[in-house]
Amino acid sequence: MAPPPKSKPCSKPFLPVSGCLKRSRSPFLLRPVNVMHRKSTGYLFVLPALLVLGLLIAYPIAYTGLLSVTDNQGNYVGLENFRTILAARATPTAFFNTLWWVAGSIIFQVILGVLTAILLNQNFRGRAIVRSVTLIPWVVPGIVAATTWAWMLHTEFGIINYMLTAPGIIDEPVGWLTNGSTVMPVMIAINVWKMFPFVAIMVLAGLQSIPNDLYEAARIDGASFWEEVWYVMLPQVRPVIIAVTLLLVIWALNHITIIYAITRGGPANRTLITPIQIFRTAFESVQFNQAAALSVMFFAVAITVVFIYIRTTAANAGASK
Amino acid sequence: MKTRSIKIGFVGAVSALALSTGMAFAGEVVWWTPNFNEARARELVAKFQETHPDITVNLQVTTTDGLPQRVLTALQSGAAPDIIDVQHGWVNGYAQNNLVIPLDDVLQDREDYVPAALDYVTLNDQLWGMPYRIESLAVIYNKGHFAEAGLDPEAPPQTWDELIAAAEALTQSGRSGFAITGGGEVGNTIFRSMPFMWMNGGGIISEDGTQVLVNSPETVAAVEFYTNFYKNGLSPSSTLENDGTANRRLFIAETVSMYQAGQFDVNSIKTENPNIDIGVMTIPHPEGKDTAAVLGGWSFVIPADAKNPDEAKILLGFLAEAENQGYLTDTFPARVSAMDMERFDDPILQVYKQMLPFGRPAPAHPNWVQISQAYFDGIQRILLGDEDVQTAMDGAAAEIEALL
Repeated sequence: MAPPPKSKPCSKPFLPVSGCLKRSRSPFLLRPVNVMHRKSTGYLFVLPALLVLGLLIAYPIAYTGLLSVTDNQGNYVGLENFRTILAARATPTAFFNTLWWVAGSIIFQVILGVLTAILLNQNFRGRAIVRSVTLIPWVVPGIVAATTWAWMLHTEFGIINYMLTAPGIIDEPVGWLTNGSTVMPVMIAINVWKMFPFVAIMVLAGLQSIPNDLYEAARIDGASFWEEVWYVMLPQVRPVIIAVTLLLVIWALNHITIIYAITRGGPANRTLITPIQIFRTAFESVQFNQAAALSVMFFAVAITVVFIYIRTTAANAGASK
Repeated sequence: MKTRSIKIGFVGAVSALALSTGMAFAGEVVWWTPNFNEARARELVAKFQETHPDITVNLQVTTTDGLPQRVLTALQSGAAPDIIDVQHGWVNGYAQNNLVIPLDDVLQDREDYVPAALDYVTLNDQLWGMPYRIESLAVIYNKGHFAEAGLDPEAPPQTWDELIAAAEALTQSGRSGFAITGGGEVGNTIFRSMPFMWMNGGGIISEDGTQVLVNSPETVAAVEFYTNFYKNGLSPSSTLENDGTANRRLFIAETVSMYQAGQFDVNSIKTENPNIDIGVMTIPHPEGKDTAAVLGGWSFVIPADAKNPDEAKILLGFLAEAENQGYLTDTFPARVSAMDMERFDDPILQVYKQMLPFGRPAPAHPNWVQISQAYFDGIQRILLGDEDVQTAMDGAAAEIEALL
């Protein structure tokens, strides 16, 4: 066993050798105030965080950009990958499916979430229990929820078809996941079910911070309950709804779990959305360069959507005040 | 001068380190085998060590889930085991990238092997893997349902027309006559529909991978035959979400009377529903033509980075002996002579045995995953009723053309 290294005094005190204790007085110690005020010192302190961020965010983005213009040998090929992936039959399908998926999910998540929040903001017996139960879909892991839904919706074994056919509501079992016109709405419904509790809980927090005076003033003016909702609650939680919607848009654009676990984008690409196409291209077909090209384009579209959203909502919020 | 000597010292230290990890395993053969082989592989290792006390075999058990990625990572990392069990279809990709070494000097009795198994692992006239296990699909049917439908349970359909007629007769009182797959992993539907194309002289792509065959008249006829089971209501309404496992569940639940399956399904049906009288038939073929099947199974490979390839070859030579190969395989051995062993005499296995000579390797193409996906999308468009067979296959052909 070697003894633990000790810090020993330097033989040459002015040589900056690591492992030895410097006896020379640091110039820093003499003028501490100046040092702390120097801008570079601040940068020094954020450097570790910046390095980590750079490694985890900037490097992958830059590398994706590089992959998108090279072939799998690393040779520069210009826009070839973009051309190939845009020519693929699945790409436009996936693009329109993504629009349909994001729009459908967001609208119903927000409406259902806000209505639930208003309901949970009322005083009634067992409110605490109802509030907790509402959260369940959101806390269930995505893959568990997706697999369970896949089983429930199965044409032959699914409980949903059983519940509909047994009392005679419908004659024939419905192929929820195999019928071209039902499969995407079903996916959206599952996503709404999964995420509306999040909207509800955020909006509920906003509702609880509304001062009681506003309600009293409204009631003195003879406002009905729905007028209270429309003129007091919604304007007050508007910033919350805007922020939550932005998050939902980003999450819906990035989404993979539910659809991939249930249909893998099928049947015949009816539920293929762009993130799943990127995933399939990269990890099933091992075409990382084409997947990178698609990611770059998708990133551009997503950032534009988010940018426009922030600009318009910020402008509206400014105008309404 | 000084920096140079430091550099040399550093390189020396690193190589000594590298050497020491290599040295530590001298004479040891690391063998990766899947969990379903474990018990039998241990027996064989014990037997091997009796005659080869100087070679230590370190058996490491893998699972099939995620195995392709794990093997590929090991092969590319430079720290590979000495022997790996892989599926036949993967070997070609390894050989193209020189990740494994040729085994022509190990595999002695070529003429004793099922030719299709050797074709699978051959590239540029060299053998890159040693097949030890082969299997194919056949059609499992419910003899009781045959009798109820007035069909002879001992004379199952032989031709396409007979299969359709039998499926029509069996489709009654909520049962489906013949279940096809149209969902799940792409491979399920490829393995079950491609043989029909082959029987008819078609295919997805030509064997040499230069021509698209998916919209040829022969292929279109076969695809039409396959998809019509669903279109005409002879396959369950859930076909578009069913893979091989789902079909087995439906068969066990007695709502499906015939479906294509491997020999493993026989045992799980026996355990889960002992009331079913199981029959097995060869996959029906067009009148006057031969049947066909995709040959599946497992081969041994020796990675290019194996630490002890010479000792590994000695072990492979031992495992290649007919008796040992017949002992190790879960299904059938790749050697014809090993097929005579008593354990392959089970009458229910005979039909699977008969299918083997008609087994062919799946095409090996670098873009095979995307090619099969394009074809599968076409099948789903037909099943959904979006497109007719010719249009769907023309669409798939256009996509596949770009991938060749």
